Amino acid sequence: MNFLDIAGISYAYGDEASVVDAVDWDIPTGAFHCLVGRSGCGKTTLLKLAAGLLVPSAGRVRIDGRPVDGPRPDVGFVFQAPTLLEWRPVLENVLLPISLRGAVSAEDRARAGELLHLLGIGDLEARYPLELSGGQQSRVAIARALIGGPDLLLMDEPFAALDAMTREELQADLLDLVAARTTTVLFVTHDIAEAVFLADRVAVMEAGAIRARLEVPIARPRAAELRHDARFNALCLDARQAMRAPLAA
Amino acid sequence: MTSTRLYSLALLVVLLVAWDLFCRWTGISALVIPAPLAVAEVLWSGLASGYLWPHIWVTSAEMLLGLGLGCAIGFSCGVVLGEVDFLRRLLWPYVIASQVVPKLALGPLFIVWFGFGMTSTVVITALICFFPLLENTLTGLQLIDPRKRDLFRMLGASRWQTLARLKLPSGLPVILAGVRVAVVLALVGAVVGEFIGGREGLGATIIAAQGMMDSTLMFALFFVITFLGIAVYQFTIAVERRLLRHHQKGLAL
Ligand SMILES: Nc1ncnc2c1ncn2[C@@H]1O[C@H](COP(=O)(O)OP(=O)(O)O)[C@@H](O)[C@H]1O
Ligand SMILES: [Mg+2]
Repeated sequence: MNFLDIAGISYAYGDEASVVDAVDWDIPTGAFHCLVGRSGCGKTTLLKLAAGLLVPSAGRVRIDGRPVDGPRPDVGFVFQAPTLLEWRPVLENVLLPISLRGAVSAEDRARAGELLHLLGIGDLEARYPLELSGGQQSRVAIARALIGGPDLLLMDEPFAALDAMTREELQADLLDLVAARTTTVLFVTHDIAEAVFLADRVAVMEAGAIRARLEVPIARPRAAELRHDARFNALCLDARQAMRAPLAA
Repeated sequence: MTSTRLYSLALLVVLLVAWDLFCRWTGISALVIPAPLAVAEVLWSGLASGYLWPHIWVTSAEMLLGLGLGCAIGFSCGVVLGEVDFLRRLLWPYVIASQVVPKLALGPLFIVWFGFGMTSTVVITALICFFPLLENTLTGLQLIDPRKRDLFRMLGASRWQTLARLKLPSGLPVILAGVRVAVVLALVGAVVGEFIGGREGLGATIIAAQGMMDSTLMFALFFVITFLGIAVYQFTIAVERRLLRHHQKGLAL
Protein backbone atom coordinates (compact mmCIF):
# COMPACT_ATOMS: atom_id res chain seq x y z
CA MET A 1 0.00 0.00 0.00
CA ASN A 2 1.51 3.35 -1.03
CA PHE A 3 0.85 6.18 1.35
CA LEU A 4 2.11 8.91 -0.96
CA ASP A 5 1.38 8.34 -4.64
CA ILE A 6 2.70 10.90 -7.13
CA ALA A 7 1.82 10.25 -10.76
CA GLY A 8 3.24 12.27 -13.64
CA ILE A 9 3.17 15.68 -11.98
CA SER A 10 4.59 18.77 -13.65
CA TYR A 11 4.74 22.37 -12.52
CA ALA A 12 5.95 25.70 -13.94
CA TYR A 13 6.07 29.11 -12.27
CA GLY A 14 4.16 31.45 -14.59
CA ASP A 15 5.12 31.07 -18.23
CA GLU A 16 8.62 29.76 -17.56
CA ALA A 17 9.90 26.27 -18.34
CA SER A 18 8.75 23.37 -16.15
CA VAL A 19 10.50 23.28 -12.79
CA VAL A 20 9.07 19.84 -12.04
CA ASP A 21 8.73 17.67 -15.09
CA ALA A 22 6.58 14.49 -15.17
CA VAL A 23 7.68 13.07 -11.83
CA ASP A 24 6.38 9.67 -10.67
CA TRP A 25 6.97 8.57 -7.11
CA ASP A 26 5.41 6.10 -4.67
CA ILE A 27 6.24 5.90 -0.98
CA PRO A 28 4.93 2.85 0.91
CA THR A 29 3.33 3.42 4.30
CA GLY A 30 5.96 3.94 6.97
CA ALA A 31 8.85 4.22 4.52
CA PHE A 32 11.53 6.92 4.67
CA HIS A 33 12.49 8.29 1.25
CA CYS A 34 15.07 10.97 0.53
CA LEU A 35 15.34 13.29 -2.43
CA VAL A 36 18.77 14.66 -3.29
CA GLY A 37 19.72 17.14 -5.95
CA ARG A 38 21.59 20.34 -6.60
CA SER A 39 20.23 23.67 -5.47
CA GLY A 40 17.57 24.94 -7.87
CA CYS A 41 16.68 21.57 -9.41
CA GLY A 42 13.09 21.74 -8.15
CA LYS A 43 13.16 19.86 -4.83
CA THR A 44 11.22 22.44 -2.82
CA THR A 45 8.66 22.80 -5.60
CA LEU A 46 8.10 19.03 -5.68
CA LEU A 47 7.63 18.98 -1.92
CA LYS A 48 5.11 21.82 -2.07
CA LEU A 49 3.21 19.97 -4.78
CA ALA A 50 3.07 16.88 -2.57
CA ALA A 51 1.86 19.05 0.33
CA GLY A 52 -0.90 20.65 -1.73
CA LEU A 53 0.64 24.13 -1.33
CA LEU A 54 1.01 24.25 -5.11
CA VAL A 55 -1.36 22.73 -7.67
CA PRO A 56 0.34 20.66 -10.42
CA SER A 57 -0.26 21.69 -14.03
CA ALA A 58 -0.39 18.00 -15.00
CA GLY A 59 -0.58 14.71 -13.12
CA ARG A 60 -1.97 14.07 -9.65
CA VAL A 61 -0.95 13.46 -6.04
CA ARG A 62 -2.73 11.04 -3.70
CA ILE A 63 -2.14 10.75 0.01
CA ASP A 64 -3.56 7.67 1.69
CA GLY A 65 -5.60 6.98 -1.42
CA ARG A 66 -7.29 10.40 -1.50
CA PRO A 67 -6.45 13.07 -4.11
CA VAL A 68 -4.69 16.14 -2.67
CA ASP A 69 -6.56 19.37 -3.36
CA GLY A 70 -4.95 21.54 -0.69
CA PRO A 71 -2.99 21.40 2.57
CA ARG A 72 -4.27 18.71 4.94
CA PRO A 73 -3.98 18.37 8.71
CA ASP A 74 -2.49 14.85 8.64
CA VAL A 75 0.59 16.09 6.77
CA GLY A 76 3.46 17.72 8.65
CA PHE A 77 5.79 20.09 6.80
CA VAL A 78 9.24 21.17 7.98
CA PHE A 79 10.58 24.14 6.05
CA GLN A 80 14.10 24.87 4.90
CA ALA A 81 14.45 27.36 7.79
CA PRO A 82 12.90 26.70 11.22
CA THR A 83 10.19 29.33 10.50
CA LEU A 84 9.21 29.86 14.12
CA LEU A 85 7.04 32.71 15.40
CA GLU A 86 9.62 34.88 17.20
CA TRP A 87 6.97 36.48 19.42
CA ARG A 88 5.74 33.23 20.94
CA PRO A 89 7.62 31.02 23.43
CA VAL A 90 8.89 27.62 22.33
CA LEU A 91 5.99 25.63 23.81
CA GLU A 92 3.41 27.84 22.06
CA ASN A 93 5.28 27.40 18.79
CA VAL A 94 5.08 23.64 19.15
CA LEU A 95 1.37 23.85 19.98
CA LEU A 96 0.58 26.18 17.06
CA PRO A 97 -0.99 23.46 14.84
CA ILE A 98 -3.30 22.45 17.71
CA SER A 99 -4.22 25.96 18.80
CA LEU A 100 -5.18 26.88 15.22
CA ARG A 101 -7.65 24.00 15.23
CA GLY A 102 -9.23 24.77 18.61
CA ALA A 103 -8.58 24.81 22.32
CA VAL A 104 -5.30 23.40 23.65
CA SER A 105 -5.85 20.75 26.32
CA ALA A 106 -3.62 19.83 29.22
CA GLU A 107 -2.78 16.58 27.41
CA ASP A 108 -1.64 18.54 24.35
CA ARG A 109 0.67 20.56 26.56
CA ALA A 110 2.02 17.42 28.17
CA ARG A 111 2.59 15.84 24.76
CA ALA A 112 4.41 18.95 23.50
CA GLY A 113 6.59 18.91 26.60
CA GLU A 114 7.32 15.25 26.06
CA LEU A 115 8.26 15.81 22.39
CA LEU A 116 10.62 18.61 23.38
CA HIS A 117 12.09 16.32 26.00
CA LEU A 118 12.61 13.53 23.44
CA LEU A 119 14.34 16.06 21.19
CA GLY A 120 16.64 17.05 24.05
CA ILE A 121 15.30 20.58 24.64
CA GLY A 122 12.77 19.85 27.38
CA ASP A 123 14.17 22.62 29.58
CA LEU A 124 13.82 25.32 26.93
CA GLU A 125 10.03 25.40 26.53
CA ALA A 126 9.62 28.86 28.08
CA ARG A 127 12.34 30.46 25.95
CA TYR A 128 11.72 32.53 22.83
CA PRO A 129 13.02 31.39 19.41
CA LEU A 130 15.68 34.10 19.12
CA GLU A 131 17.17 32.91 22.40
CA LEU A 132 17.90 29.49 20.86
CA SER A 133 20.77 28.18 18.74
CA GLY A 134 20.13 27.10 15.16
CA GLY A 135 20.05 23.42 16.12
CA GLN A 136 17.59 24.08 18.95
CA GLN A 137 15.34 26.04 16.59
CA SER A 138 15.36 23.10 14.15
CA ARG A 139 14.33 20.80 16.98
CA VAL A 140 11.40 23.06 17.81
CA ALA A 141 10.32 23.01 14.15
CA ILE A 142 10.43 19.20 14.14
CA ALA A 143 8.42 19.02 17.37
CA ARG A 144 5.84 21.35 15.81
CA ALA A 145 5.58 19.15 12.73
CA LEU A 146 5.12 16.03 14.90
CA ILE A 147 2.67 17.40 17.50
CA GLY A 148 -0.40 16.65 15.38
CA GLY A 149 0.76 13.03 14.95
CA PRO A 150 1.05 13.33 11.15
CA ASP A 151 0.96 10.22 8.98
CA LEU A 152 3.14 11.90 6.38
CA LEU A 153 6.09 14.15 7.11
CA LEU A 154 7.51 16.35 4.34
CA MET A 155 10.88 17.85 5.21
CA ASP A 156 12.74 20.43 3.13
CA GLU A 157 16.47 20.43 3.93
CA PRO A 158 15.68 20.93 7.62
CA PHE A 159 19.28 20.41 8.75
CA ALA A 160 21.09 22.20 5.93
CA ALA A 161 22.15 25.17 8.05
CA LEU A 162 23.53 23.13 10.96
CA ASP A 163 27.04 22.03 11.82
CA ALA A 164 27.97 18.38 11.17
CA MET A 165 27.78 17.23 14.80
CA THR A 166 24.36 18.76 15.45
CA ARG A 167 23.10 17.40 12.14
CA GLU A 168 24.12 13.84 13.06
CA GLU A 169 22.39 14.14 16.45
CA LEU A 170 19.21 15.40 14.83
CA GLN A 171 19.28 12.65 12.19
CA ALA A 172 19.41 10.02 14.93
CA ASP A 173 16.62 11.71 16.93
CA LEU A 174 14.44 12.01 13.83
CA LEU A 175 14.86 8.32 12.98
CA ASP A 176 13.87 7.33 16.53
CA LEU A 177 10.80 9.55 16.51
CA VAL A 178 9.40 8.45 13.14
CA ALA A 179 10.15 4.78 13.82
CA ALA A 180 8.06 4.96 17.00
CA ARG A 181 5.05 6.25 15.05
CA THR A 182 5.36 4.53 11.62
CA THR A 183 5.33 7.93 9.95
CA THR A 184 5.88 8.03 6.20
CA VAL A 185 8.62 10.54 5.39
CA LEU A 186 9.77 12.38 2.30
CA PHE A 187 13.00 14.15 3.20
CA VAL A 188 14.77 16.60 0.88
CA THR A 189 18.49 17.23 1.25
CA HIS A 190 21.52 18.11 -0.83
CA ASP A 191 23.78 16.03 1.41
CA ILE A 192 24.25 12.53 -0.02
CA ALA A 193 25.55 10.98 3.20
CA GLU A 194 22.55 12.35 5.06
CA ALA A 195 20.21 10.86 2.46
CA VAL A 196 21.83 7.42 2.59
CA PHE A 197 21.92 7.38 6.38
CA LEU A 198 18.22 8.25 6.73
CA ALA A 199 16.50 6.62 3.79
CA ASP A 200 15.11 3.31 2.64
CA ARG A 201 15.36 4.72 -0.83
CA VAL A 202 17.16 7.73 -2.32
CA ALA A 203 15.97 9.49 -5.46
CA VAL A 204 18.30 11.76 -7.39
CA MET A 205 16.68 14.78 -9.01
CA GLU A 206 18.11 16.88 -11.79
CA ALA A 207 16.48 19.72 -13.72
CA GLY A 208 13.02 18.81 -12.52
CA ALA A 209 13.16 15.08 -13.26
CA ILE A 210 14.11 12.02 -11.19
CA ARG A 211 17.34 10.74 -12.76
CA ALA A 212 18.05 7.74 -10.55
CA ARG A 213 16.63 5.73 -7.66
CA LEU A 214 18.78 3.87 -5.22
CA GLU A 215 17.69 1.31 -2.61
CA VAL A 216 19.44 1.44 0.77
CA PRO A 217 19.27 -2.15 2.09
CA ILE A 218 20.72 -1.36 5.51
CA ALA A 219 18.88 -2.66 8.57
CA ARG A 220 17.36 -0.37 11.21
CA PRO A 221 17.95 0.93 13.79
CA ARG A 222 21.01 2.55 12.30
CA ALA A 223 23.89 3.53 14.56
CA ALA A 224 26.17 6.53 14.07
CA GLU A 225 29.13 4.19 13.34
CA LEU A 226 27.37 3.17 10.14
CA ARG A 227 28.84 6.30 8.56
CA HIS A 228 32.28 4.63 8.62
CA ASP A 229 31.03 1.36 7.17
CA ALA A 230 32.34 0.30 3.73
CA ARG A 231 28.87 -0.62 2.48
CA PHE A 232 27.55 2.80 3.49
CA ASN A 233 30.35 4.56 1.65
CA ALA A 234 29.80 2.42 -1.44
CA LEU A 235 26.14 3.49 -1.49
CA CYS A 236 27.14 7.15 -1.12
CA LEU A 237 29.51 6.73 -4.05
CA ASP A 238 26.72 5.19 -6.16
CA ALA A 239 24.45 8.14 -5.40
CA ARG A 240 27.18 10.64 -6.16
CA GLN A 241 27.88 8.97 -9.50
CA ALA A 242 24.18 9.02 -10.32
CA MET A 243 24.28 12.80 -9.79
CA ARG A 244 27.34 13.21 -11.98
CA ALA A 245 26.34 10.83 -14.73
CA PRO A 246 24.72 13.33 -17.11
CA LEU A 247 27.75 15.62 -16.84
CA ALA A 248 30.16 12.83 -17.76
CA ALA A 249 28.03 11.73 -20.71
CA MET B 1 25.48 56.95 33.51
CA THR B 2 27.71 56.27 30.49
CA SER B 3 30.39 58.74 29.57
CA THR B 4 28.61 59.70 26.32
CA ARG B 5 25.56 60.68 28.34
CA LEU B 6 27.77 62.80 30.58
CA TYR B 7 29.17 64.54 27.50
CA SER B 8 25.64 65.14 26.19
CA LEU B 9 24.72 66.76 29.48
CA ALA B 10 27.92 68.81 29.48
CA LEU B 11 27.08 70.00 25.97
CA LEU B 12 23.70 71.25 27.23
CA VAL B 13 25.43 73.25 29.97
CA VAL B 14 27.91 74.66 27.44
CA LEU B 15 25.05 75.72 25.15
CA LEU B 16 23.16 77.41 28.00
CA VAL B 17 26.29 79.25 29.11
CA ALA B 18 27.05 80.30 25.53
CA TRP B 19 23.48 81.57 25.18
CA ASP B 20 23.80 83.56 28.38
CA LEU B 21 27.17 85.02 27.41
CA PHE B 22 25.82 85.95 24.00
CA CYS B 23 22.94 87.90 25.60
CA ARG B 24 25.28 89.69 28.02
CA TRP B 25 28.00 90.63 25.55
CA THR B 26 25.80 91.76 22.70
CA GLY B 27 23.25 93.37 25.03
CA ILE B 28 20.60 92.15 22.64
CA SER B 29 17.03 93.17 23.50
CA ALA B 30 15.01 90.65 25.53
CA LEU B 31 12.33 91.17 22.88
CA VAL B 32 14.53 89.37 20.33
CA ILE B 33 16.42 86.84 22.46
CA PRO B 34 15.76 86.75 26.22
CA ALA B 35 18.50 85.55 28.57
CA PRO B 36 18.24 81.96 29.76
CA LEU B 37 17.83 82.91 33.41
CA ALA B 38 14.92 85.21 32.59
CA VAL B 39 13.27 82.37 30.65
CA ALA B 40 13.82 80.01 33.56
CA GLU B 41 12.30 82.55 35.93
CA VAL B 42 9.17 82.98 33.80
CA LEU B 43 8.93 79.22 33.41
CA TRP B 44 9.24 78.66 37.13
CA SER B 45 6.71 81.33 38.10
CA GLY B 46 4.30 80.04 35.44
CA LEU B 47 4.50 76.56 36.91
CA ALA B 48 4.54 77.67 40.56
CA SER B 49 1.60 80.05 40.22
CA GLY B 50 -0.37 77.35 38.42
CA TYR B 51 -0.84 79.63 35.39
CA LEU B 52 0.69 77.12 32.91
CA TRP B 53 -0.84 73.90 34.17
CA PRO B 54 -4.33 74.23 32.62
CA HIS B 55 -2.68 74.97 29.27
CA ILE B 56 -0.34 72.00 29.56
CA TRP B 57 -3.34 69.87 30.42
CA VAL B 58 -5.40 71.08 27.45
CA THR B 59 -2.59 70.59 24.95
CA SER B 60 -1.76 67.13 26.34
CA ALA B 61 -5.41 66.12 26.19
CA GLU B 62 -5.77 67.33 22.60
CA MET B 63 -2.58 65.61 21.61
CA LEU B 64 -3.47 62.29 23.24
CA LEU B 65 -7.09 62.33 22.04
CA GLY B 66 -6.03 63.20 18.50
CA LEU B 67 -3.23 60.63 18.61
CA GLY B 68 -5.52 57.89 19.93
CA LEU B 69 -8.30 58.67 17.49
CA GLY B 70 -6.01 59.06 14.47
CA CYS B 71 -4.01 55.92 15.29
CA ALA B 72 -7.14 53.83 15.90
CA ILE B 73 -8.81 54.90 12.67
CA GLY B 74 -5.58 54.74 10.65
CA PHE B 75 -4.82 51.28 11.97
CA SER B 76 -8.35 49.99 11.28
CA CYS B 77 -8.36 51.39 7.76
CA GLY B 78 -4.88 49.92 7.21
CA VAL B 79 -6.11 46.47 8.25
CA VAL B 80 -9.19 46.70 6.00
CA LEU B 81 -7.17 47.92 3.00
CA GLY B 82 -4.49 45.32 3.73
CA GLU B 83 -7.02 42.50 3.73
CA VAL B 84 -9.32 43.55 0.89
CA ASP B 85 -7.33 43.67 -2.34
CA PHE B 86 -10.12 45.32 -4.30
CA LEU B 87 -10.47 48.23 -1.85
CA ARG B 88 -6.72 48.70 -1.70
CA ARG B 89 -6.40 48.97 -5.46
CA LEU B 90 -9.45 51.23 -5.64
CA LEU B 91 -8.36 53.63 -2.89
CA TRP B 92 -4.56 53.59 -3.13
CA PRO B 93 -4.28 56.54 -5.57
CA TYR B 94 -6.43 58.61 -3.20
CA VAL B 95 -4.36 57.61 -0.19
CA ILE B 96 -1.22 58.72 -2.01
CA ALA B 97 -2.86 61.97 -3.16
CA SER B 98 -4.12 62.78 0.32
CA GLN B 99 -0.61 62.30 1.71
CA VAL B 100 0.58 65.48 0.00
CA VAL B 101 -2.42 67.56 1.12
CA PRO B 102 -1.07 69.90 3.80
CA LYS B 103 -3.44 68.82 6.57
CA LEU B 104 -2.81 71.93 8.67
CA ALA B 105 -4.13 74.02 5.81
CA LEU B 106 -7.52 72.45 6.51
CA GLY B 107 -7.49 73.99 10.02
CA PRO B 108 -9.56 77.07 9.14
CA LEU B 109 -12.18 74.83 7.52
CA PHE B 110 -12.39 72.67 10.64
CA ILE B 111 -12.99 75.83 12.69
CA VAL B 112 -15.95 76.55 10.44
CA TRP B 113 -17.20 73.00 11.00
CA PHE B 114 -16.39 72.42 14.66
CA GLY B 115 -15.94 75.93 16.07
CA PHE B 116 -13.03 77.35 18.07
CA GLY B 117 -11.62 75.16 20.83
CA MET B 118 -10.62 71.63 21.49
CA THR B 119 -12.70 69.76 18.94
CA SER B 120 -11.16 71.26 15.84
CA THR B 121 -7.64 70.84 17.24
CA VAL B 122 -8.31 67.19 18.08
CA VAL B 123 -9.67 66.61 14.57
CA ILE B 124 -6.61 68.18 12.93
CA THR B 125 -4.29 66.15 15.16
CA ALA B 126 -6.19 62.94 14.41
CA LEU B 127 -6.05 63.63 10.68
CA ILE B 128 -2.28 64.13 10.83
CA CYS B 129 -1.78 60.91 12.85
CA PHE B 130 -4.07 58.91 10.58
CA PHE B 131 -1.70 58.68 7.61
CA PRO B 132 1.48 57.21 9.15
CA LEU B 133 -0.64 54.53 10.81
CA LEU B 134 -2.56 53.74 7.63
CA GLU B 135 0.59 53.48 5.56
CA ASN B 136 2.66 51.53 8.08
CA THR B 137 -0.16 49.11 8.93
CA LEU B 138 -0.66 48.43 5.25
CA THR B 139 3.08 47.93 4.71
CA GLY B 140 3.46 45.82 7.86
CA LEU B 141 0.69 43.46 6.81
CA GLN B 142 2.23 42.93 3.37
CA LEU B 143 5.74 42.20 4.63
CA ILE B 144 5.24 38.60 5.72
CA ASP B 145 7.92 35.94 5.38
CA PRO B 146 6.55 33.69 2.57
CA ARG B 147 7.59 30.61 4.55
CA LYS B 148 5.45 31.68 7.50
CA ARG B 149 2.56 32.26 5.10
CA ASP B 150 3.03 28.71 3.74
CA LEU B 151 3.23 27.40 7.30
CA PHE B 152 -0.15 28.93 8.15
CA ARG B 153 -1.65 27.60 4.92
CA MET B 154 -0.21 24.18 5.69
CA LEU B 155 -1.80 24.28 9.14
CA GLY B 156 -5.17 25.17 7.63
CA ALA B 157 -5.37 28.56 9.38
CA SER B 158 -8.42 30.68 8.58
CA ARG B 159 -8.05 34.17 7.18
CA TRP B 160 -8.87 35.69 10.55
CA GLN B 161 -6.32 33.47 12.31
CA THR B 162 -3.67 34.38 9.75
CA LEU B 163 -4.37 38.06 10.35
CA ALA B 164 -4.49 37.93 14.14
CA ARG B 165 -1.74 35.43 14.77
CA LEU B 166 0.69 35.98 11.90
CA LYS B 167 0.25 39.24 10.00
CA LEU B 168 -0.39 41.62 12.90
CA PRO B 169 2.33 40.30 15.23
CA SER B 170 4.91 40.06 12.48
CA GLY B 171 3.96 43.52 11.16
CA LEU B 172 4.06 45.01 14.66
CA PRO B 173 7.55 46.56 14.35
CA VAL B 174 6.49 48.48 11.24
CA ILE B 175 3.14 49.47 12.77
CA LEU B 176 4.84 50.76 15.92
CA ALA B 177 7.31 52.74 13.82
CA GLY B 178 4.20 54.45 12.41
CA VAL B 179 3.01 55.19 15.95
CA ARG B 180 6.36 56.79 16.71
CA VAL B 181 6.03 59.09 13.70
CA ALA B 182 2.44 59.87 14.72
CA VAL B 183 3.49 60.83 18.25
CA VAL B 184 5.84 63.50 16.93
CA LEU B 185 3.27 64.77 14.47
CA ALA B 186 0.56 64.82 17.14
CA LEU B 187 2.38 67.44 19.20
CA VAL B 188 2.95 69.60 16.12
CA GLY B 189 -0.72 69.10 15.20
CA ALA B 190 -2.01 70.08 18.63
CA VAL B 191 0.18 73.18 18.98
CA VAL B 192 -0.37 74.45 15.43
CA GLY B 193 -4.08 73.58 15.69
CA GLU B 194 -4.20 75.90 18.70
CA PHE B 195 -2.37 78.63 16.77
CA ILE B 196 -5.27 78.56 14.35
CA GLY B 197 -8.29 77.95 16.50
CA GLY B 198 -7.42 77.46 20.16
CA ARG B 199 -8.68 79.44 23.11
CA GLU B 200 -6.62 77.50 25.61
CA GLY B 201 -3.47 75.43 25.46
CA LEU B 202 0.22 76.02 24.91
CA GLY B 203 -0.20 76.98 21.25
CA ALA B 204 -2.93 79.51 22.09
CA THR B 205 -0.74 80.89 24.88
CA ILE B 206 2.13 81.38 22.42
CA ILE B 207 -0.19 83.43 20.22
CA ALA B 208 -1.30 85.45 23.25
CA ALA B 209 2.34 86.01 24.27
CA GLN B 210 3.10 87.12 20.74
CA GLY B 211 0.29 89.68 21.01
CA MET B 212 1.95 91.07 24.14
CA MET B 213 5.43 90.93 22.54
CA ASP B 214 6.46 88.69 25.47
CA SER B 215 9.35 86.77 23.91
CA THR B 216 10.49 85.46 27.27
CA LEU B 217 7.15 83.72 27.80
CA MET B 218 7.29 82.37 24.24
CA PHE B 219 10.70 80.84 24.96
CA ALA B 220 9.41 79.39 28.23
CA LEU B 221 6.45 77.82 26.36
CA PHE B 222 8.82 76.48 23.76
CA PHE B 223 10.66 74.60 26.51
CA VAL B 224 7.43 73.28 28.01
CA ILE B 225 6.36 71.92 24.61
CA THR B 226 9.78 70.36 24.08
CA PHE B 227 9.62 68.61 27.45
CA LEU B 228 6.11 67.39 26.72
CA GLY B 229 7.29 65.98 23.39
CA ILE B 230 10.33 64.27 24.92
CA ALA B 231 8.20 62.71 27.67
CA VAL B 232 5.62 61.26 25.28
CA TYR B 233 8.27 60.13 22.80
CA GLN B 234 10.31 58.37 25.49
CA PHE B 235 7.17 56.70 26.78
CA THR B 236 6.36 55.47 23.26
CA ILE B 237 9.85 54.07 22.82
CA ALA B 238 9.65 52.28 26.16
CA VAL B 239 6.31 50.69 25.19
CA GLU B 240 7.73 49.77 21.77
CA ARG B 241 10.80 48.13 23.33
CA ARG B 242 8.59 46.13 25.65
CA LEU B 243 6.23 44.95 22.90
CA LEU B 244 9.05 44.03 20.53
CA ARG B 245 11.40 42.43 23.04
CA HIS B 246 11.11 39.01 21.37
CA HIS B 247 11.02 40.16 17.75
CA GLN B 248 13.93 40.07 15.34
CA LYS B 249 16.70 42.17 16.82
CA GLY B 250 17.31 44.02 13.60
CA LEU B 251 13.69 45.21 13.48
CA ALA B 252 13.39 46.33 17.07
CA LEU B 253 14.97 49.60 18.06
N1 LIG C 1 8.08 31.43 -6.38
C1 LIG C 1 8.84 31.21 -7.50
N2 LIG C 1 8.63 31.92 -8.60
C2 LIG C 1 9.36 31.70 -9.72
N3 LIG C 1 10.36 30.79 -9.81
C3 LIG C 1 10.62 30.05 -8.73
C4 LIG C 1 9.89 30.22 -7.50
N4 LIG C 1 10.36 29.33 -6.60
C5 LIG C 1 11.36 28.66 -7.23
N5 LIG C 1 11.51 29.07 -8.50
C6 LIG C 1 12.48 28.53 -9.47
O1 LIG C 1 12.22 27.18 -9.62
C7 LIG C 1 13.44 26.43 -9.67
C8 LIG C 1 13.40 25.35 -8.63
O2 LIG C 1 13.33 25.93 -7.35
P1 LIG C 1 13.25 25.06 -6.01
O3 LIG C 1 12.12 24.10 -6.16
O4 LIG C 1 13.20 26.01 -4.88
O5 LIG C 1 14.64 24.30 -6.05
P2 LIG C 1 15.46 23.58 -4.89
O6 LIG C 1 14.57 23.46 -3.70
O7 LIG C 1 15.86 22.27 -5.46
O8 LIG C 1 16.66 24.42 -4.61
C9 LIG C 1 14.56 27.42 -9.48
O9 LIG C 1 15.15 27.68 -10.74
C10 LIG C 1 13.89 28.66 -8.95
O10 LIG C 1 14.52 29.79 -9.44
MG1 LIG D 1 14.84 24.23 -1.80
